[in-house]
Amino acid sequence: MKETKYFLKVFLGTLGLFLITVLLLYVFFNRDNKSSVGSKEIVIKVIVPDEEVQEFTLTTDAITLRQALDEENLIRGTGDTGSFFITEVNKHRADDSKQEWWSITKGGEYIEYGVDMINIQDKDQYELTLMEGY
Amino acid sequence: MRTKDIVIIGVMAALLIVLQVGLSFLPNIELVSLIVILCTIIYGWKTLYIIYIFVIAEGLIFGFGLWWVNYLYVWTILMLLTMLFRDKQSPFLWAIISGAFGLSFGLLCSIPYLFIGGVPMAVSYFISGIPFDAIHCVSNYIITLVLIKPLYLFLDWLNRKEFV
Repeated sequence: MKETKYFLKVFLGTLGLFLITVLLLYVFFNRDNKSSVGSKEIVIKVIVPDEEVQEFTLTTDAITLRQALDEENLIRGTGDTGSFFITEVNKHRADDSKQEWWSITKGGEYIEYGVDMINIQDKDQYELTLMEGY
Repeated sequence: MRTKDIVIIGVMAALLIVLQVGLSFLPNIELVSLIVILCTIIYGWKTLYIIYIFVIAEGLIFGFGLWWVNYLYVWTILMLLTMLFRDKQSPFLWAIISGAFGLSFGLLCSIPYLFIGGVPMAVSYFISGIPFDAIHCVSNYIITLVLIKPLYLFLDWLNRKEFV
């Protein structure tokens, strides 16, 4: 009886844990980040404080934002797919000593994934903004 | 503190560093959680020394970035959680705790982002890391379930043994 109760607790605990995992993965894969094939035109704004905003219109077949930016050599960074971190945009390097970093927004809204996981659509507009302070 | 304690703290901290660096090429598959749990069960509060030697060494190896701030509290949270269940011996319970810690790792690491960019940034960070947290959860569960008992018996034997 005691053993049955133990196994039931263990089973329910394990089941609960993996149900939460599956639920989180469902949220991740069903978020609003649809990909599309074919040619698309996107606008990239590079915003550096106290400098004029630079705007680039890219025509690309790329699926992700990183691919599109790489095609134009607009960004450099470190890390692998999934954890790529932008360090330089349009030859402007974020200065670690000043706690600078590049923020990516879409139409002014935060994006909940890294640059290599953002799927682009035709007419999308992204802002790459140099931020200061961690 | 006895000489034996100092040696144990040094050896376990070194073990954590070697295991973390050695497995760093695998995304979120690690043995640090298991070792922290084991150390807490066997050595109790002395584990704090082990954790913070490990954390400082990690900073010296990889640089003191934002991730390092996360390391200052995530492993301590796992240790405190383990202290609550320290007398339990079920490998399944420890596997569930370790898996839950792995799953919540991204959530815990998103805390500094609350202060940098507010809730939207913290949520963004958390959601972008969900696949890695899922891997962390499953790998922690399996690793702990398989290894906790033999490693516990070994470390407990070492701990009881008096070396002259």
